[in-house]
Amino acid sequence: MALRRQSIVLSVLLAPVTLFLGVFFLMPLAIIALFSLLTPGLYGGVEWSFYHWNYGRIFGWADGLIEIFEPIYLQILARSLGFAALTVLLTLVLCYPVAFWVSRLPPRARLIFLFLVTLPFFSSLIVRLYAWLLILKPSGVLNSALLSSGLISQPLEILYTPAAVVLGMVYVMVPFMFLPLFAAIDNLDRALVEASMDLGANRVQTFFKVILPQTLPGIMGGAVIVFIPSVGNFVVPDVLGGAKGLMIGNLVEQQFLSARNWPFGAALSMIIMTVVLTVLMVSIARATRRGGQNA
Amino acid sequence: MALLEIRAARRVFVTPEGGRVAALDGVDLDVGANEFVTLLGPSGCGKTTLLRSISGFEALNGGSIALDGADLSKLPPFRRPVNTVFQSYALFGHMSVARNVGYALEVRGVAKGQREAKVAEALEKVGLDGMGARRPSQLSGGQRQRVALARSIIAEPRLLLLDEPLSALDRNLRQQMQLELKALQARLGIAFVFVTHDQEEALTMSDRIVVMRAGKIEQIGPPRDIYRRPKNRFVADFIGETNLFDLTVERIEGSEARARTPEGVELVLPSQGLVAGQAVTAVLRPADFTLAAAGLAGTVTRAVYLGQDLHLFVQPAGGGAEIRVTARDGAAAPSAGDAVHLAHDPAAVHVLEAA
Amino acid sequence: MRNPIGWAALTVFALAFFVFIYAPLFVIIGYSFNSNPVNMMVWDHFTFDWYRGLLGLADRSQDGAAQNRALYIESTDQMLAALRTSLTVAAFTTTISTVIGTATAIALARYRFRLKGVYNGFLMLPMMMPDIVLGIGLLIFFVTIGMNLSMLTIIIGHCTFLTSYVFIIVQARMAGLDPALEEASADLGASEWVTLRKVLLPQLAPGILGGALLAFVISMDDLVITYFVAGTGDTTLPVFIFGMIRRGVKPEINAIATLIILASVVIAATGLWLRSRKTD
Repeated sequence: MALRRQSIVLSVLLAPVTLFLGVFFLMPLAIIALFSLLTPGLYGGVEWSFYHWNYGRIFGWADGLIEIFEPIYLQILARSLGFAALTVLLTLVLCYPVAFWVSRLPPRARLIFLFLVTLPFFSSLIVRLYAWLLILKPSGVLNSALLSSGLISQPLEILYTPAAVVLGMVYVMVPFMFLPLFAAIDNLDRALVEASMDLGANRVQTFFKVILPQTLPGIMGGAVIVFIPSVGNFVVPDVLGGAKGLMIGNLVEQQFLSARNWPFGAALSMIIMTVVLTVLMVSIARATRRGGQNA
Repeated sequence: MALLEIRAARRVFVTPEGGRVAALDGVDLDVGANEFVTLLGPSGCGKTTLLRSISGFEALNGGSIALDGADLSKLPPFRRPVNTVFQSYALFGHMSVARNVGYALEVRGVAKGQREAKVAEALEKVGLDGMGARRPSQLSGGQRQRVALARSIIAEPRLLLLDEPLSALDRNLRQQMQLELKALQARLGIAFVFVTHDQEEALTMSDRIVVMRAGKIEQIGPPRDIYRRPKNRFVADFIGETNLFDLTVERIEGSEARARTPEGVELVLPSQGLVAGQAVTAVLRPADFTLAAAGLAGTVTRAVYLGQDLHLFVQPAGGGAEIRVTARDGAAAPSAGDAVHLAHDPAAVHVLEAA
Repeated sequence: MRNPIGWAALTVFALAFFVFIYAPLFVIIGYSFNSNPVNMMVWDHFTFDWYRGLLGLADRSQDGAAQNRALYIESTDQMLAALRTSLTVAAFTTTISTVIGTATAIALARYRFRLKGVYNGFLMLPMMMPDIVLGIGLLIFFVTIGMNLSMLTIIIGHCTFLTSYVFIIVQARMAGLDPALEEASADLGASEWVTLRKVLLPQLAPGILGGALLAFVISMDDLVITYFVAGTGDTTLPVFIFGMIRRGVKPEINAIATLIILASVVIAATGLWLRSRKTD
């Protein structure tokens, strides 16, 4: 009797999430997969017949008449992956020393600086990107400062370049890298560092042989949660990037809001989803293996 | 009829590897209306499972639990007229001490005024008068313990269950609380079932001790019986320091019997029920031996200083396991390397029933 | 035992890092007080005009510059409408996702059932799914089932991923809770429902509040999903600002952005205060 009561309470607690996410999360994902295999309608929309050219346009098969293979799509995909990887690398290089520094501060200062790192996360993403627009403009803060100091004679063309896109992504992703790194570094047992030095390793050796391997799970965690939103990002390249900064997210957006080729946009989304799920699976498998070894 | 009657209680757990472990393997136990019963045993012996079966947090796979003759096993925990003092105290941090203590009355819909009087009374019983407005986080470990106690007795249960409630306290406080708990139990006139793995605690407080191992009860009895007359090697070993000798009876001399270990250590036992040639196991506590001019010869291998007393490890001349002996410290006390002789009172020897 | 030179270098690097993080925000704040309406990048003099404009207080009748401003003020009403939409969406989203997320966290922490592992993994997905994929998925879904894009579709869109955020935070709080607390409550005579109300929810309160706050902040800030599932009539503040940036930047943006930054500082500080409060 007790067991039946329990299952009633459990169903009541689980029903909302099951229904809600079942309908509004799983169905949309399924419908993307479905649409990616349908024929684009002549004036937007779809025709309900099987069609494989959506993927063909991207990966290299085409009938050469209606659908033409364009290497540009693969180039944009590669660029997106490259930008995301670069973002991971740069946020890591920026955050690791700072996380280390913050973890060694006295408790009150630690709290304040931790707060300062997370604070920008609470302010609007679009506002923060807009700030970079102000800074990077030909007539913006950066160029005005450099011109008036005489360091350059012509305004630098940074805005609407790939560099601006990566800079913007690094800026918005910093907290996501910082927090897992900080958690890992802060959890590091100081006795391990002292033991390493006690056994004769110098600071550099201690860093590479003890600290870095011990904080690797934090690095991997930060890398995954920076990489995933970066690959499919379309706001940053939209605001700060030009034609050369176009990423796969912008391509998707164009298919839906200007080109009105939904099946092709769905196929592009499937690619983003595949990349993301692959990264997730690999990282989870890695983490589980590591966990298994440690246990 | 006893207050609590447990019959053939069985509880089987499935391990993550798919194996089955019987946490309770046919347990029978009666607890009287005003009795202090302690469940004692090593971790994993089933004592906590037994306690949680009484409180209703574990369901039995077989057997029955009855309170005052009424079957408890179909009732959810909140309908059982028993209360528990938890190991972690489980005080509600978002409530004041008074509200914690009055919780059982609050959820039963007792009016506020009535509740307050009862709360004050309960707090007074545990020596916390006037502390009601505080938060549990503002109290010391010992005070939290008392709040947990007051909270669990306010609904006037017939039976109070205590799950290692003293394990988080330091030694001095623990000893003080042992005495207080015992006094409180006598004053309230209700039954306590107390779980512990600390044998000293069990000996100090209990009317009866239930020694458990691997889901079964090994022995039930008053502390003195458990200590002096253990039923088997496990109980003898688990309760207090023990010397166990595997002997063969050589001859019977009136009320005494002479028996010898394979290594040649000779002991004198009470002869009752023994016959020559019989294999027996004898139990002798360290304090049962005295240093003497003649007797069992041996060499002190270690002498551990314990304040008043000295704990000696004596290697018998003929070989075999070291004998542990408690001796009075003093100028004449032996030290490591000394040759000594050990004597014992035959009446003090407890002979285990044949396995 | 610290190496002083290394530590000094590290400190310099860290301070530079914080300048990098905060300089852009201060640039906006600075420009929000620049009176130059023609080229907002060139400093003219200090003014509150843009704030007055936002609040509908600007004088529309005077000189040429004011005429210029009057044009911008047209957008003020739209902006306030967008803010209202944002707040409404965030309020509904926060409520719904907090209720569902909390119920889920309690279910997964306190009950044993066969699909538990599946649920735990599945609930990570909405957070990890890139917002553009979720956004277009919802767009196609709504259009296919014939649901009009409106405030309702925005709220649904936000709840799909914010439920997971709330779930994670409440679950973390749940994991730190002594299970004996609920047992003690049951032992003292409280039914499951009374235990939930009197013990579990108050004990979870800091986690639930934290989750709700996070959901509110993220909902207020969401651009991508809203961008795809918002109908023509219902624009939220981030989408409105995004549109303004795309059409060409106007000085009011600086004032709006400054106000958003200030609001977020207040919210973040409140969150920190809630978290640091003793809850044992």
